[in-house]
Amino acid sequence: MKKLSLALVTTLLFSMLFTACATDSAATTDAGDNEPAAADTAEEPTAETTGEAKDKYVIGMSQCNLGEPWRVAMNDQIAAAAEAYPMFEIIYADAAQDNSKQIADIENFIQMEVDLLIASPNEATPLTNVVKKAYDAGIPVILLDRKIDGDSFTQFIGADNVLMGREAGKYAAEVLLPDGGNVMEIKGLEGTSGGIERDQGFREGIASNPNVVIVAENNADWLREKAITVAEEMLQANEKVDLVIALNDPMAEGAYIAAKNMGRESEMTYIGFDALPTPDGGIKSVIEGRISLTLVYPTGGKEAIESAYALLVEGKTLDKTITLGTELITAENAEEAYTRYGGK
Amino acid sequence: MNERVGAGLNGKKIGDILKRFQSVLGLVILLIVASFACIKNGKNLFLDWRNVMNVLRAVSENGIIAVGMTMVVLLGGIDLSVGSILGLVGTGTAALMMLNGWGFIPTVLMGLAIGAAYGLFNGTIITKMRMQPFLVTLASMNMARGIARIWSNGAGIPLSYGEGLAPVQFEYLQYRIGGLIPVPAIIFIVVAIIFSIVLKRTTFGRQLYATGGNEKAAHLSGIRINRIKTLVFMFCGLLSALSGMIHAAQVSQGGPNDGIGYELNAVAAVCIGGTSLAGGKGTVSGTVIGAIILGLVDNIMGLNGINSNIQLIVKGFILILAVFMQADKQAD
Repeated sequence: MKKLSLALVTTLLFSMLFTACATDSAATTDAGDNEPAAADTAEEPTAETTGEAKDKYVIGMSQCNLGEPWRVAMNDQIAAAAEAYPMFEIIYADAAQDNSKQIADIENFIQMEVDLLIASPNEATPLTNVVKKAYDAGIPVILLDRKIDGDSFTQFIGADNVLMGREAGKYAAEVLLPDGGNVMEIKGLEGTSGGIERDQGFREGIASNPNVVIVAENNADWLREKAITVAEEMLQANEKVDLVIALNDPMAEGAYIAAKNMGRESEMTYIGFDALPTPDGGIKSVIEGRISLTLVYPTGGKEAIESAYALLVEGKTLDKTITLGTELITAENAEEAYTRYGGK
Repeated sequence: MNERVGAGLNGKKIGDILKRFQSVLGLVILLIVASFACIKNGKNLFLDWRNVMNVLRAVSENGIIAVGMTMVVLLGGIDLSVGSILGLVGTGTAALMMLNGWGFIPTVLMGLAIGAAYGLFNGTIITKMRMQPFLVTLASMNMARGIARIWSNGAGIPLSYGEGLAPVQFEYLQYRIGGLIPVPAIIFIVVAIIFSIVLKRTTFGRQLYATGGNEKAAHLSGIRINRIKTLVFMFCGLLSALSGMIHAAQVSQGGPNDGIGYELNAVAAVCIGGTSLAGGKGTVSGTVIGAIILGLVDNIMGLNGINSNIQLIVKGFILILAVFMQADKQAD
């Protein structure tokens, strides 16, 4: 009996937690609703009422997997950008890499009649139907990083991996190895589009300097630990290596560790990709002098909020696609970039 | 004995009733909370047919697996391979339809057969080689994942329907009747009713409870416990396979990496539903309520925009609470 009542009390406490949350949000939305009463009578559908003077807009952000640091950075950048727009309330959902969970998350947002949906799909095909459902219900949809099948979305914001690879290649050919040299390349997981595109771009970038030669290449599945083994094998097989290009920062770190274990770390320079502003990210590696160059793989979080403002508040029409550029992070700008990208 | 007849009787009785229906009680409390907690702009987001159907749709895959898991847990066992079977059958059926041009009925039968065969494999090893279900299904969980990845070369197989593609009937597995009632939810309810009857009304059901309650006694009374155990794992595999095909239809893709962690959601639903992990005690209806409770908690917190990390913590607490109350029941 004692245990039972304890259990009941705990349940009640949970109930109070929920009701507290609910009354909270109800209160704030009430306050917001009172003022634009005139607009209220005129407006009905949520999506097309761009430019209507609303005091508050609820934006649902459906993230596919917060287990990835890059996606945590995406959410952080959305939150940071939204601070400039007090009329935006962002609600976050995390699908933990599960398509079914992300479908349910987006269904919830539709149910909540959010003013705008930002989604970074776990996979294109499985999320297509539910994103279309939101879009057809009149909710504008901004997709980040991954698209869906078809065109039932308002805007897609994504990075350009070919461009990133090309910039890295140019930097290698012109700055790091102007007189040419031997390169070993550590690639990601076989078959992933981001890796294929970065590789393609890099090869285009170094083409201007025929003395830059790729002497070894292999996959390390994007993983730091795997890159150590792969780099060790490559270093074992190649006497002279002047540059390591790894298609992400953790693998560049892995290659550095491998070279260091062999006492050869200062023979070569290192290039990585992604430049996350985290303590274990690429910008720190540049600051601490292990990596010479890393390239920002932009999340589009800031741009998504700017698009939301343009659409909802200013009533502008959005371009169907925004392709994001990149930024080269070297010893010169790393400190400044770390703070600018929100690193702590 | 005398004490029970005394003045304390009423209080004790109410306590017993509360305990027996703990999951129902939890569900009622949650429903009340949900009805008040999800009001926004004067609109009740929760008490809305579309939302209720969303919840039922979202819980149906886990619910169907959890019905199978209930039987395994009633035996005092666990089946860790259910999520992988979901992924394997989802991928396999998608491959058969999209790459091999199979029709609807052969595909579904093959999907179910794969699940049942997988359960037969689990059950046979557990009974004939006298190994712990935990270890056997841990091993077979990884094996199913490997087979699924080989079958599709590691990538998902997108489903599209029509002539020369997947049969349109398969798409009905994710259809909403009248734009509202989701077919997966109907399948879930039908499965729950069937297995509820099987457990309560058939010899197999009675023998299952007897085996789970006391294996030795059941054996001595002439029950062929190995046969019961193998059948239970087959049913569990079959239901995971069914869930896998529904999953593939719902996400329009057979993905070899789908269903990771589903085994634990199913076990959670079973426990919240009041089935004892020690075996012998529990019901399918309890599990149905357990699955719905988990779905409701997700839905309430989702509709209120509660941080996903907080959601994990709250769900953990609810599971502990359920097991805690169950421990109380066993101590009596």
